[in-house]
Amino acid sequence: MYGWIWRHLPGNAWVRALLSAVLVLAVVYVLFQYVFPWAEPLLPFNDVTVDNQ
Amino acid sequence: MGVTTDQDEQNGAPSPGLAPSPVPRRRGRRRIALAVSFLGELLITAGLVLGLFVVYSLWWTNILADRQADRQGDKVRDHWAAGKDSGPGALDTKDGIGFLHVPAMHNGEVLVEKGTSTSILNDGVAGYYTDPVKATLPTTGKNGNFTLAAHRDGHGAKFHNIHKLKDGDPIVFETKDKWYVYKVFATLPETSKYNVDVLTAVPKEAGVKKPGHYITLTTCTPIYTSEYRYIVWGELERVEKVDGKRTPPKELR
Repeated sequence: MYGWIWRHLPGNAWVRALLSAVLVLAVVYVLFQYVFPWAEPLLPFNDVTVDNQ
Repeated sequence: MGVTTDQDEQNGAPSPGLAPSPVPRRRGRRRIALAVSFLGELLITAGLVLGLFVVYSLWWTNILADRQADRQGDKVRDHWAAGKDSGPGALDTKDGIGFLHVPAMHNGEVLVEKGTSTSILNDGVAGYYTDPVKATLPTTGKNGNFTLAAHRDGHGAKFHNIHKLKDGDPIVFETKDKWYVYKVFATLPETSKYNVDVLTAVPKEAGVKKPGHYITLTTCTPIYTSEYRYIVWGELERVEKVDGKRTPPKELR
């Protein structure tokens, strides 16, 4: 998978390394901005109130 | 240079330098090897994503929440400073009704807002209950229970150190013109999340029978999970008027 991505990136090794870093940052951004905020309330780690439901 | 060899390998055409071998078997094994390495990469990725999730929930949410809480807290203080002559009774519940100071938790001041929904608590504030049992605000002067909730971890983690509260420790609630000084008199280190009795006006589990001015802090426990709830009760000891310089009561000095 990662090998496949690496082979399909253009340019020489330096350009590819740079592009890879950009891709990693983009993935982290999407995770922090959209995926984790969506997933967090679904997980039972941070409910602090008492209620009767 | 690396490009061509890589692509050759991917197309299944061994470079001339390699020893010729029966092609179908090579290809089958190759396919298995590819599948296994793909699976391995997926597992590594899953591990990294889970690790990032921990970073997110224990660190990043704190940064976001603290920023938000600071902003809203500043707004409340600005309102207080500006609204000296705007007349009494204009209780602005949208930005927060006051600040909670708990010296034993070593976390400065905690803005108190209305409601305990996720979207409110995630701003790094403590919320007072409106459901299932409505909190009695100390500003009303009536007997009742001022019930609050805040996060133990992440999103500001305002009640992270709740276990450091001991009997007799002060909990001070600051409003525009009064300091409400409470003293802790009971804690319940572990209770069911369905135990709404802890929020009642006269919380029996705290060992009290008479109506009074109580405060209740609730959060989740053990740390990092929310299997149970941690409860701390306090009772109002005295009310001080805020002076011109907002000199804090002696508990906070």
